[in-house]
Amino acid sequence: MKTFEEKWTAWLDGQLTGRELSEFEASLPDKAAAEAGKADARKLGELLKRELSARTLTNEEFFSHQLRERIARLRSPRRRPAWQARKRGSTWWTIPRLLWTGAMSLAVFLVFTVLVMHEKNPAEESPYLTQILNARVDPVTSPNATVSIFEVKKDRVTVLWTEGLQSLPADYAAK
Amino acid sequence: MGRAPAFLIFFLGLTIGATPGLKGAETVWSGLVIAENLAQPKAIPPELTRIEGMLKKFFGYNQFQVIGQSQKTLKTGQEDWLATSKFFGLHVDARGESEGGYVLNLKLYKEKELLLETDAKLSKRSPLIIKGPQVGSGQLLLVLIVQ
Repeated sequence: MKTFEEKWTAWLDGQLTGRELSEFEASLPDKAAAEAGKADARKLGELLKRELSARTLTNEEFFSHQLRERIARLRSPRRRPAWQARKRGSTWWTIPRLLWTGAMSLAVFLVFTVLVMHEKNPAEESPYLTQILNARVDPVTSPNATVSIFEVKKDRVTVLWTEGLQSLPADYAAK
Repeated sequence: MGRAPAFLIFFLGLTIGATPGLKGAETVWSGLVIAENLAQPKAIPPELTRIEGMLKKFFGYNQFQVIGQSQKTLKTGQEDWLATSKFFGLHVDARGESEGGYVLNLKLYKEKELLLETDAKLSKRSPLIIKGPQVGSGQLLLVLIVQ
């Protein structure tokens, strides 16, 4: 058995007929007000149908043309983004590019090697210390004199050390 | 300009810039120094400040007094000069520039008498000290420094 609300909805939609219709209308306390409500509901329904229905496109050709162009652009390899190109088996690592990268890496390595050698050598290598090539003392005045060479690497000083040179009086210290 | 030549020029520039290049004229300070031990030593001359610690430790003296000196700016590396005191003379004859320094011939005279002769390759970074004869209670030292 239908409830009052179900019957009311069916009445508004005009789906009640025959005996069921007459019985329902007889049960309405104020038929005139109910009829007014029914008319309002119909108007509202028509308004909603009219306003909410899908708009029909007036320029279908234009939209389809636009879509075709976009698809063509996406399919074109020239305009494809780089990441997409790589994804599809890129040819970036060609032989010339590999050679070029190798050469660049070698150049970077050489530059850093030269820089490091340039920084390290002065303190470590003996060519940067003063070198005594030879030394002689006068054998007549100092027959027993000897010479020795010291390289004080810590202070980077080279010392030519003589022993047995003729001693001189303090007067010789004059300026 | 393409990328490849630009990179090549950049790295060549870096490499050339990193190699030790020839610098401008440099000055060699040559000094006749008397090292002594005194109760109240005088301050070390400014030319020797750089090697003060080494001098004191190595030679065992506490005062170093310059009795003769010379400063020579080398332009060709072929110059010669003399540092003299009253009785001593140090003749320095530069015989060209080598890698990182100068080739020098040094002669120490007592008045006109040659006491010592040596050839050395004086490094721009490394001073040369020559221990000369005993003078009174002190010691004559010859010092050469590229400043």
